[in-house]
Amino acid sequence: MEKKGKKDRRDFINTCFRFAAGASLVGVTGVLAHKTISGNTLWQIDTTKCTQCGRCATSCVVTPSAVKCIHVYDMCGYCDLCGGYLRPNVKNITTGAENQLCPTGAIKRKYIEDPFFEYEIIEDLCIGCGKCVKGCGAFGNGSLQLQVSHDICVNCNQCAIARDCPSDAFSRVPADEPYKFSGFKKEKKG
Amino acid sequence: MKNKLGLIFSVVLLLLLVGLIAGDLFFEKPKSQKNIYEYDLDELRQVDSSLIAYKETASFLIDGEAVYGLALDSDDNIYVSGRNKLWIFNSNGEFQSSMKVRGDAHCVNVSESGNILLGVGNRVDVRKPNGGLNNSFQIKGAKAYISSIAEKDGVVYIADAGQKIVHQYTIDGKKINLIGGKNLEKGIRGFVVPSPYFDLMLGRQGELWVVNPGRHALEAYNEKGDLISTWERTSMRVDGFGGCCNPSHVAMLSDGSFVTSEKGLERIKIHLPSGDFKSVVAAPSQFDAGTTGLDLAVDSNDRIVVLDPSRKQVRIFELKE
Repeated sequence: MEKKGKKDRRDFINTCFRFAAGASLVGVTGVLAHKTISGNTLWQIDTTKCTQCGRCATSCVVTPSAVKCIHVYDMCGYCDLCGGYLRPNVKNITTGAENQLCPTGAIKRKYIEDPFFEYEIIEDLCIGCGKCVKGCGAFGNGSLQLQVSHDICVNCNQCAIARDCPSDAFSRVPADEPYKFSGFKKEKKG
Repeated sequence: MKNKLGLIFSVVLLLLLVGLIAGDLFFEKPKSQKNIYEYDLDELRQVDSSLIAYKETASFLIDGEAVYGLALDSDDNIYVSGRNKLWIFNSNGEFQSSMKVRGDAHCVNVSESGNILLGVGNRVDVRKPNGGLNNSFQIKGAKAYISSIAEKDGVVYIADAGQKIVHQYTIDGKKINLIGGKNLEKGIRGFVVPSPYFDLMLGRQGELWVVNPGRHALEAYNEKGDLISTWERTSMRVDGFGGCCNPSHVAMLSDGSFVTSEKGLERIKIHLPSGDFKSVVAAPSQFDAGTTGLDLAVDSNDRIVVLDPSRKQVRIFELKE
């Protein structure tokens, strides 16, 4: 005798497949709808969350990394003893390689007038390690900051650095406001 | 039987697969990884214990939203200025009174006559010893930002970090002079103030000592604004000052030695009147990392009183026996 309301195995599997197909359809539609509504977005770093962990240099799928140090000149103190340029415990304040903090020598120091020096980032050499950013933040005004350079970034769906970032400093930003650095000016590199 | 086993095996495999996918999607993986580009400040934060000549003997908390400035009066009462308030404690740290201030009082000073001077943005409030408002005047200039203040014989010296100059006013608010403007003929190189830490104090002979933080220097001026003495020590090590702008605050001991506090490497040190390093009062390990604005004062017993804005504490250091 067959019990009322009890499904056999075949009916149960059929129902499961239908449910899964329906859920996938709704999910795909939702994702497409979200992308359409949100428009073009790009990956960017929130400088207030960034801890300069070094992973921007090692996790990016682009080599060297699409993350670069930018210099917000408005905030810079143009210091002689620059914490972002010189190694800690440096004995001589000179441009000698042994005194430079940057592992790739990507910062150019130029004398302006006593006692001011200008620091320029050579983007091609910068690997986005954030060492200078940490030094500037510790001893200076924090004018050196890490940002994703959109000329280089390939805008992966799932950014490899965002996945590895320990402070969740990566997020998608609208393409018409692609940079998130702190400072007085909003355009890239002041 | 064989079919049933196969089915069970398939279901288990499917569940395992779903579990793995769900784990990858919904659970965070540990993100610990060695930073091969680590900027290690630990070495600089280490201080040889034989150099530390002071010990912390007392501390007390201030119940306020934010604290900025510290001063002592001739009876060693401790004045702390902060957001919308001024607190007064006796030398043992017992609360005496408080008064309202309109705005953030970034600096405070108590003159020999007992006047309490407060720097609030671009405004100077002069209060009578009983706390009543005596006078209030503003410093002109869109960038004016008062970071330190001192008074002697009715003359007020105001460190303006925004305009990188020292203003000399009468206590009634009448402008007298500007001190420290660049004048190479007189040997004055001008103040370099990259961040809003620009301190001044009056020395034992009434001379005005002003920190030139961008040059890691202290400069002394007479009442006419002539440069009479200067010393500077630039170094990342303990014998000098590093970073963009240090020392952030200064005070003077009875023998004319300077007490200095720094930001970046949070430490308090003693420099001889010549500027040479003498000893350490407090090492970076005694402060929260990132602490700035360690304002200083010295009492009649040469105890060093420190305002720690990060912990909202007044901390007192005394020479080790």
